[in-house]
Amino acid sequence: MTVLTAFRSRARATGRRVSADTPSWLFAAPALVVYALVVLYPAVSGMVYAFTDWSGIGEDRSFVGLANFGTLLGDEQAMGSIGNTILLTVAVVAVQNGVGLLLALGVNAKLKSRGLLRVIFFAPVVVSPVMVAFLWKYLFNPDPSAGLNGLLGLEVDWLGDPSVALWSIAGMVVWQYAGYSMVIFLAGLEGVPKELYEAAMIDGAGTWQRFRYVTWPLLAPAVTINLMLSTIGGLKLFDQVFAATNGGPGYATETLSTVLYKQAFVFGKFGYSTAIALVLALFVAAVSLVQVYYLRGREVTA
Amino acid sequence: MPDLLHNARVSRGQFLRMMGGLAAAGFVTACSTRPETTASTGGGQSTTELKFIGVADQKAPMDELVAAYQKVRPTVRLTTSYAPTDQVQTSIRTQLGAGNAPDLHVVFPGSGSAMSMSEIAGAGLLADLSGQAWTRTIPEGFKPAFQAGGKTYMYSAGSSVIGAVYNKKAFEKAGIEAPPTTWSEFLAVCDKLKKAGLVPIALGAQTPWVTQLITYALVPSTVYAKDPTFDDKQLAGQASFADSGWRQAMEMYLELQKRGFFNDKPNGTTFEQQTSMVATGKAGMAIQVSAVLPDFRKAASSPDDLSMFPVPGADDAASVWIPAGVVVGLGAGAKGKNVEEAKAFVDFLGKQENINAWAKAIAAIPLTQDASSTIDAAVQSFLPFTKDRAVPFMDQRWPNAEVQPVHFAVIQELLAGDATIDDALKKMDEAYKK
Repeated sequence: MTVLTAFRSRARATGRRVSADTPSWLFAAPALVVYALVVLYPAVSGMVYAFTDWSGIGEDRSFVGLANFGTLLGDEQAMGSIGNTILLTVAVVAVQNGVGLLLALGVNAKLKSRGLLRVIFFAPVVVSPVMVAFLWKYLFNPDPSAGLNGLLGLEVDWLGDPSVALWSIAGMVVWQYAGYSMVIFLAGLEGVPKELYEAAMIDGAGTWQRFRYVTWPLLAPAVTINLMLSTIGGLKLFDQVFAATNGGPGYATETLSTVLYKQAFVFGKFGYSTAIALVLALFVAAVSLVQVYYLRGREVTA
Repeated sequence: MPDLLHNARVSRGQFLRMMGGLAAAGFVTACSTRPETTASTGGGQSTTELKFIGVADQKAPMDELVAAYQKVRPTVRLTTSYAPTDQVQTSIRTQLGAGNAPDLHVVFPGSGSAMSMSEIAGAGLLADLSGQAWTRTIPEGFKPAFQAGGKTYMYSAGSSVIGAVYNKKAFEKAGIEAPPTTWSEFLAVCDKLKKAGLVPIALGAQTPWVTQLITYALVPSTVYAKDPTFDDKQLAGQASFADSGWRQAMEMYLELQKRGFFNDKPNGTTFEQQTSMVATGKAGMAIQVSAVLPDFRKAASSPDDLSMFPVPGADDAASVWIPAGVVVGLGAGAKGKNVEEAKAFVDFLGKQENINAWAKAIAAIPLTQDASSTIDAAVQSFLPFTKDRAVPFMDQRWPNAEVQPVHFAVIQELLAGDATIDDALKKMDEAYKK
């Protein structure tokens, strides 16, 4: 940014007739070209398959129009997975950000070990999600003397009970990514001016009031980012579900991502799978746009 | 940023050229497909490089046979990689789709899976192996697993069986003298194990493929013993899951659960936990495929503690049939640059001594047998059945890849009490007709 401002002010100083906005696109061009080649082109050329019946291998394919989208509407399993996807997303977004905020407030306090604690809470984020799922499968052992059950004195069938499995996966995801939300909230907290707290204290505000009327409003940008990232992450959750339950027991933890994976690589219906992927992508884009529009509206500056 | 640029004494132009160069270099590297499969060795002799991708179960026999092949044909270098079935399925199908499949890769027998012989051969992506000598000795009953349209497209070293992997010490402890030969005896054995404070049958239904094994063990007796042509009738639309012995097999499956013969919470128990329960003697047995015997043996304090017996799915010992399926095999890609060399390796695997070696490594029954063939002691009790009272694993004749995953899911639903046998069979019939 500094480069750009410097460039603009110099352009203005030398009196060249360059509109203030034009150069920025030129600077972006190299990146845009790479982005177009590596992301846009493959994505668009892949989208074409959503309108075919390609099996994923061989040359045999024909154009089927919107038939795949019609199939999707009548596909009980895919429709059921939308419900799971939304439940999982809501749970993950609420709990992950709640826990992340509490952790951030905790390690933002003047503790001796706060550096160490920050590292510990962030550590799970850098582990591969598949590894995390495999580790948690051991913790989710239904044996009353092993894993979480042994630790907490419970007898829960974590991944085997269809009414519990989805929440077990949500718990696992929250455990892994709460540290990620924490880091973003921490960055937000660093940006809250100390003077405001001092002023609030002089006005006689207690801990809760300082949080409610100073910290919380000024954290709004961090809240926007966290909610959006965790919503996107939740809607397209795949690795953890795939590794932990593969959609089971029955279809109890099937998400849109696992359904589209199975259609492509297990059932050999690449065309249909691409159609589901397309719908998922549009859905995620729509949700995030609405979310950002709404959340941006409530952001304030100090 | 400005400081950085100034300190480095690089002009903006130089910087951009540098970045452009880097991007171009990266792009070119990413696009190059490394066509040089034939590299020169120090001696001036040229080496052909072949690539094989397989499933984890194939590692032990392949390691042994690739090393042996290296001695026979030093000019061919075969590199191998292995992964669990799901991952392999994903990566090989992607490579097949993109037209850069490995020279040799895993192929599943028959039809009924996205990586099955008939599916991939149907897309014209498997080399025809029919000219090779070993293909002429494939036993008649196994041909549908290896062949499509009369041509052989897959190599497999033999067959494995599904039965009860049991812990001899646990059986002794419960006072069981001999393995059961009828369904009533089987239930009595489970009862004795339960009274001795053991889990009679360990079931790891959290791992999807494990769910199907009990139905597979029973269906040969409840369906195929009564009608050996059931598959053909079902393909012709004259038979269904719902109106066949499949119903009885599912009832028997759930009866085992109702009588408390499974461990608690089978849907939350994994294959690994199931294995360790039997290996350590906490459970008496597990219904499993013989190919995983090595896993059970590795987990046991003494490998000799474990053996197998056929699961008797009928009350008349003479009408007990068993499932015996061709083990996962491999094929040569039809579009590779070194198809002939790849086929030559398959031909090598087809030699009797190599069939024997492969079968031995995975406790399978060799495809063809000679004096030097060995058959694992644990599967000896299955041999009287293999001639005329054995049927291939059911999915190997299913018309599409959707029936099997539906079978996994409905078994989990049945075990959870979330579905009825009627629902389950209806869903399987629907998937079959897709």
